[in-house]
Amino acid sequence: MVGEAIVITSGKGGVGKTTTSANIGTALALQGQKVCLIDTDIGLRNLDVVMGLENRIIYDLVDAAEGRCKVQQALIRDKRFDCLHLLPAAQTKDKSAVNPEQMQEIVETLRPEYDFILIDCPAGIEQGFKNAVSGADKAIVVTTPDTAAVRDADRIIGLLENEDIEPPKLVVNRVRSDLSREGNVLDVEDVVATLAVDLLGMIVDEEHVLKAAHKGEPIAMNPNSRASLGYRNIARRLLGESVPLMAVEEKKSFFSKMKSLFGIKS
Amino acid sequence: MTNNNGNYVTIKGTKEGLTIVLNDQCSFHELLEELKKKIEREQRLFENGPQVEVRVDAGNRYLSKSHEEEITEVLNKTGSVRVHEVHSNVMTKGEAQEVIEKATVTSVTQIVRSGQVLRKTGDILIIGDVNPGGVVEATGNIYVIGALKGIARAGTEGESHAVVCASVMIPKQISISDTYFYAPEKHEKQEQKPAIEGPGYAYVTGEEYKAIAFEETKMLGHYLRSVSYT
Repeated sequence: MVGEAIVITSGKGGVGKTTTSANIGTALALQGQKVCLIDTDIGLRNLDVVMGLENRIIYDLVDAAEGRCKVQQALIRDKRFDCLHLLPAAQTKDKSAVNPEQMQEIVETLRPEYDFILIDCPAGIEQGFKNAVSGADKAIVVTTPDTAAVRDADRIIGLLENEDIEPPKLVVNRVRSDLSREGNVLDVEDVVATLAVDLLGMIVDEEHVLKAAHKGEPIAMNPNSRASLGYRNIARRLLGESVPLMAVEEKKSFFSKMKSLFGIKS
Repeated sequence: MTNNNGNYVTIKGTKEGLTIVLNDQCSFHELLEELKKKIEREQRLFENGPQVEVRVDAGNRYLSKSHEEEITEVLNKTGSVRVHEVHSNVMTKGEAQEVIEKATVTSVTQIVRSGQVLRKTGDILIIGDVNPGGVVEATGNIYVIGALKGIARAGTEGESHAVVCASVMIPKQISISDTYFYAPEKHEKQEQKPAIEGPGYAYVTGEEYKAIAFEETKMLGHYLRSVSYT
């Protein structure tokens, strides 16, 4: 088994890198894949919180990098899936505690044991970004449909082009069909046109996602959520299936269908 | 013994004014001496008339900057002569290289993304977009086969006849030599409008108050021809 190492990055903070990492990881695990999540946001770790695994951390990424423990010892098994593991970041150090060579070494150690290694990248373009990217073969760029996030995603894609890495894929997070229809935010097509990279998937903006993160349970576990479906579709695309993009439009309620049938404008 | 019979410097009258032809085989020292003598001898001739523009033709002699200055100084001292141009058929390899660079079009197939700076001597042809936050700089013209949404700086070494041409013209900023164009402020939540609908180019217009104007690409040939005469 030779795993793919995929870095999940965005440039701008707060667009949902960690949520995306946790959910793609969970969705892949749901498909029976062996997945390892690596949190590289040293000093501001929160992938463990989103996964609800905070209380189980003993060793972390820096311990593994510096040889205080074996990489395998630092891994935490997920509550829900045996095939999903997390390598948490250190909370007491900063980004310079690890260098790209150490990251590569860790990824290479894990690679034979997993199908997917997802690396959650910190915001910014400094040391933390360089560390996260150094071990990866592929990249997923997460953005939201607003100008600032797209600008930063563009910058990140430019930086990734200089790395020895496959062309990045795009995930557009927090898509709001109601706002983009009125022209208040960019729509997904605008984002893809500007960034000129392949779209891997889009995630609609939903309350469920926030609620799930609050509970420490990834939304991908919830079968009734459209955001969850978005993440599951991304996982299937990563496995090589061709899954059509789902419509952003919400299904009309029975009542509004009746209204339009009778020609009443809703 | 040097042959100093006044063969090294010839003064010719032409349609455009006086041309001083310098021999390109003798030493520079001899040349300068003779030029001084000749100017002294002809002082009377130069003195009374109105100021004349002269062109200096050095033939196949390579003139360094300091040589050129010496010649110019000797001539300008007379007061009634002003050196318009010092011409020589010879240039150094370095200068030739520069001329070639300035005359070449570098074509680049990439998207110039936020934070990236593409800087070239001569013209640039970009096959791709220039995204917001991306910068393209050229000493000559800039052509974008795609959307220009970032910053373009043409004629960065002072060429004010340079143009910025793009298939989709939505620039944040354009500068040509030292004339600037800034995108109009966005109103409310509206998208930035193109500076011109469809493919267009930006150029410098106006005599006293220079400004950047936009025109449809089909007029570009006309513009380039009109500026090549001046």
